[in-house]
Amino acid sequence: MELWQFIILVGAIMAAAGAFVWNALHISSMTQGTKSAKQAQDELGKSAEEDVEHIFNDEFREELRNRGRLHFEKIIGENAMFLQQDLRLTTSQLNEYMKEEITRTLKEEFDKYEQSITDAKQLAIDSISKTQEAIEQQRQVMAVQLEKQFETTKAQLISRFEQNMADIVNHYIMIAIGDQIDLNDQLEYILGDLEANKKAIIEDITNGA
Amino acid sequence: MAHDEALQLVVPTSVVTYVDVAHLGREIEAIDAFLQQAQLRKAGESVTMPKLSAMLGELAQVNQLNLLDASDRAKLLQFIQVLKKSAPVIHVSFAAEPSLTFLYKLCAWFRKEVSPHTLLHVGLQPSIAAGCIVRTNSKYFDFSLRQHLTQQKPELAKILGGKE
Repeated sequence: MELWQFIILVGAIMAAAGAFVWNALHISSMTQGTKSAKQAQDELGKSAEEDVEHIFNDEFREELRNRGRLHFEKIIGENAMFLQQDLRLTTSQLNEYMKEEITRTLKEEFDKYEQSITDAKQLAIDSISKTQEAIEQQRQVMAVQLEKQFETTKAQLISRFEQNMADIVNHYIMIAIGDQIDLNDQLEYILGDLEANKKAIIEDITNGA
Repeated sequence: MAHDEALQLVVPTSVVTYVDVAHLGREIEAIDAFLQQAQLRKAGESVTMPKLSAMLGELAQVNQLNLLDASDRAKLLQFIQVLKKSAPVIHVSFAAEPSLTFLYKLCAWFRKEVSPHTLLHVGLQPSIAAGCIVRTNSKYFDFSLRQHLTQQKPELAKILGGKE
């Protein structure tokens, strides 16, 4: 029972008690018509007080008090239940709200984080692309330089080989078959060379002498 | 005059180098000294004849001279002195030590074609591999394999697949 129902109930009881008192006074005035008004009024007052005392005695008051207490406890319990329900609802809504807020915040943070990662990834990709481009350019430059150097070295080696080809072949022959060459076998060729240069040798000998 | 007479003598094939000529000179002087000393010695004293080298024997033989004759020894000595002073010396370098037979043949060619009193000075030059290098008073003749290869450089490059 709610408080307003309790108040209506008490009001109804008070109205019933008033009606009862008025009815008693009306009946008494009708039966004793001859008594003086003052005396009659005193008697009615006394009897009313007695009836009131008779109706609202201690037991009745205690009963009312107990009922009121129970009713109040009931109201308190119901209100507590409503409050608990409201609290649960509020808690649920709060949880939901918090969940949504946290989810939203997390989503925003994750979006930011994802964006940051995407930016960083893009930055890294750009950096790697630039590095690769630089490396590729460097590689091309080095390849050109290397090829140039290779060609130069090759030309130098060929030139040096061509310049010293006779010495190289001679050295090779000397190492390969140097110990197998017999001077006696060469005599014919040596005499041939001497024969070819005989005139110059004679002239030099003659002039020198 | 004496110089020209001395040059009428023949240098044997076994005498090849200036060192040989110098050795012959010392040998003749030794024989001369020995024979002079032998004349001064008293009879009955033992003497030891200096040994003659094959070169000296050949020198005396080809020139038909008697080493016991003082005038012949004087001729030979004079001839040796003339050779030492005026014989043309040709420097010849080989990759290896030549044999005596080889030197005799080479020396014979020089004496036949260039001058009958030619002497050789033999040197070693292993880097020439084959052939020889001849050096006269003022000229240098490279008959080595290296020089031959250098002269044939285009052909050599062609064989080796070079540019030339």
